[in-house]
Amino acid sequence: MKRVGVFVCHCGTNIASVVDVKRVAEAARSFPGVVFATDYQYMCSDPGQELIRKTIKEQRLNRVVVASCTPRLHEPTFRKTLESAGLNPYLLEMANIREQCAWVHAKDKEGATIKAIELVRVAVAKACLNAPLKPSTIPITKRALVIGAGIAGMQAALDIADAGYEVVLLDREPTIGGNMVKLDKTFPTLDCSA
Amino acid sequence: MSVNQEASRWEPKIIAFCCHWCAYAGADLAGLNRLSYPANVRIIRVPCSGRVNPQFVLRAFQRGADGVLVAG
Amino acid sequence: MVAAAQHPQIQVITYAEVEQVAGYVGNFQVTIRKKARMVDATKCTGCGTCWEKCPTKVDSEFDLGLGKRKAIYIPFPQAVPAVPVIDKEHCRQFTKGKCGVCQKVCPTKAIDYEQQDEVVTESFGAIVVATGYELFPWEQVYGEYGYGRYPDVITGMHFERMNSASGPTGGKIVRPSDGKEPKTVVFIKCVGSRDEAKGKSYCSRACCMYTAKHAHQVLEKIPGAQAIVFYMDVRTPGKAYEEFYSRTVHEGAVYVRGRVSRIYQEGDKLIVCGEDTLLGRQVTVAADLVVLATAMVPSRGWEELAKMLGLATDKDGFFQEAHPKLRPVETYTAGVFIAGACQGPKDIPDTVAQASGAAVKVCQLLSKDEMATDPMISTVDENLCSGCGLCQPVCPYKAIDMKTITERVAGKTVARRVASVNMGLCQGCGSCTVVCRSGALNLRGFTNEQILAEVDAACL
Repeated sequence: MKRVGVFVCHCGTNIASVVDVKRVAEAARSFPGVVFATDYQYMCSDPGQELIRKTIKEQRLNRVVVASCTPRLHEPTFRKTLESAGLNPYLLEMANIREQCAWVHAKDKEGATIKAIELVRVAVAKACLNAPLKPSTIPITKRALVIGAGIAGMQAALDIADAGYEVVLLDREPTIGGNMVKLDKTFPTLDCSA
Repeated sequence: MSVNQEASRWEPKIIAFCCHWCAYAGADLAGLNRLSYPANVRIIRVPCSGRVNPQFVLRAFQRGADGVLVAG
Repeated sequence: MVAAAQHPQIQVITYAEVEQVAGYVGNFQVTIRKKARMVDATKCTGCGTCWEKCPTKVDSEFDLGLGKRKAIYIPFPQAVPAVPVIDKEHCRQFTKGKCGVCQKVCPTKAIDYEQQDEVVTESFGAIVVATGYELFPWEQVYGEYGYGRYPDVITGMHFERMNSASGPTGGKIVRPSDGKEPKTVVFIKCVGSRDEAKGKSYCSRACCMYTAKHAHQVLEKIPGAQAIVFYMDVRTPGKAYEEFYSRTVHEGAVYVRGRVSRIYQEGDKLIVCGEDTLLGRQVTVAADLVVLATAMVPSRGWEELAKMLGLATDKDGFFQEAHPKLRPVETYTAGVFIAGACQGPKDIPDTVAQASGAAVKVCQLLSKDEMATDPMISTVDENLCSGCGLCQPVCPYKAIDMKTITERVAGKTVARRVASVNMGLCQGCGSCTVVCRSGALNLRGFTNEQILAEVDAACL
């Protein structure tokens, strides 16, 4: 059984001054799978996240939709919120009702509200099909290869080596230095290049 | 020529598949700069425009979309 | 240079090329071919007796043919390492089968004519590509400058070698044809750059500044000399750059805005015909030396390297960064970073900055013992996979391999091929899912079912 919770963010007045957030939450309650929907001033704030955590426990939510800013901004934030509430972070879905709705339709409040409702519907539909995902880990060999030993390669090799890692600096020519060592003085300071 | 009132109020429904890394970010940027465009576009985020299966486009038309934009 | 060679954490391998790269971020296996130097580096002390006594002289590549080197040589006196190599194409031991002078004179018995290439495979967590640039081959297309026929029409790099105190002329600016000091030196900018007809469309970025430096060096080193610069624009965006250019102009360099239409030899002079577009009239200069500011192009071999590492390149062969502003040293291949002119023409300050940036990205990666992979990657349903392999060439990250699985069918064990996604390489773009006819490939987090559900919900 999917139990989706929808959290609509005002983002202060950023969203709420254009989109009728109460209407969005109200509409969300009728979408398939949604068992809870509410709105709050700043969903990303501590009390906002606490609201999500509390509701996950109280309503036994297993999917969360946050309608707020772009996922490019706060997806990591809300994934952590889910994780801290004991839910797999990938059960989160976001509806972008700020950058791609409120901010671009400021003069069309009715249109923006309808669009916000539809964006939430889309996010809920996707969230219902979200599956818990687990990142796996891969080991890391602590050595670096630098291909090309000109000024760029030498600088990179030195910086990596100074940080304590082993570096192999490779060049196809018999010497390191690249084009740089062919140069005489270099602009703008006219110091030597070797 | 008389303009049909109904027809002039008709708004097409457009589904836009936007690549997370570029077009979707561009749509965010439009918001950031407070540009304005009609509210009849629905953006669906994909990880890459290469993710857009022709089947998705067909399905959108099948379900009544009037236009489909693939941007990436 | 010496700092890099002497650093205890840096192993310098020269005269070697990358042959193959396997693996993925954190776990690259790189096959390196160490070309045979014919000199045992563990015995050689760099004393120089061999190249002093070597009887064969050839043009030095390092000095672009302005000077000579021996068949056993180090490219320049301060080379690192100071271990010579034998040029098998010219060495008499290899061409005629007899000589052996270097072997006889070597005090440490380091010369080994039987030495073979050594191929090693080593593991790395990260790779920095810093393969740099070479100069646009202007001789092939610029007939108006003589197709390289005139010895006194040279490139900026030749000019650098002449200016170098350890170069072929000991730092004296001379005409390659007769060794005389030039009195009138013409510089031509944008040779091969900003020229869509014959060269590249891009601006090569460093030329305006090095030409200003060259003009300054002419005026400084040759009393009474004239430096005339033909230019399209003067571009000096950099700290203290405009000031440097102004200084050169105040020192007496003459800047003429216009292109050169023709150069021809008359007596021992090079007649340079061009146009001054600001004054709207023809200009003819009788020059002693012409220096071309040739465009930077990617260093040869970029295509092979791009293929090996799965790097994208732009239309001119420069490696493509993951994002032009926000991810300038990363590539689309996780764990592979780019620095310097292999990404695009640039000058030394920018190169150093970018190299340090790439180094930080490498350190970021190496500072962890293991890394978490994004779980939103492609997966294969082996029951559905027909093993057609269509997904393999589509993957921009070379993350799909074919593997053989065995299963029991009707009491018999059968083997069949299926696609297999490498978690370290897959970046989750989902291109493979689109070509998969059997629907065996799906992208976690953006599954076909999820996206279709979104489409349906959006179209209600």
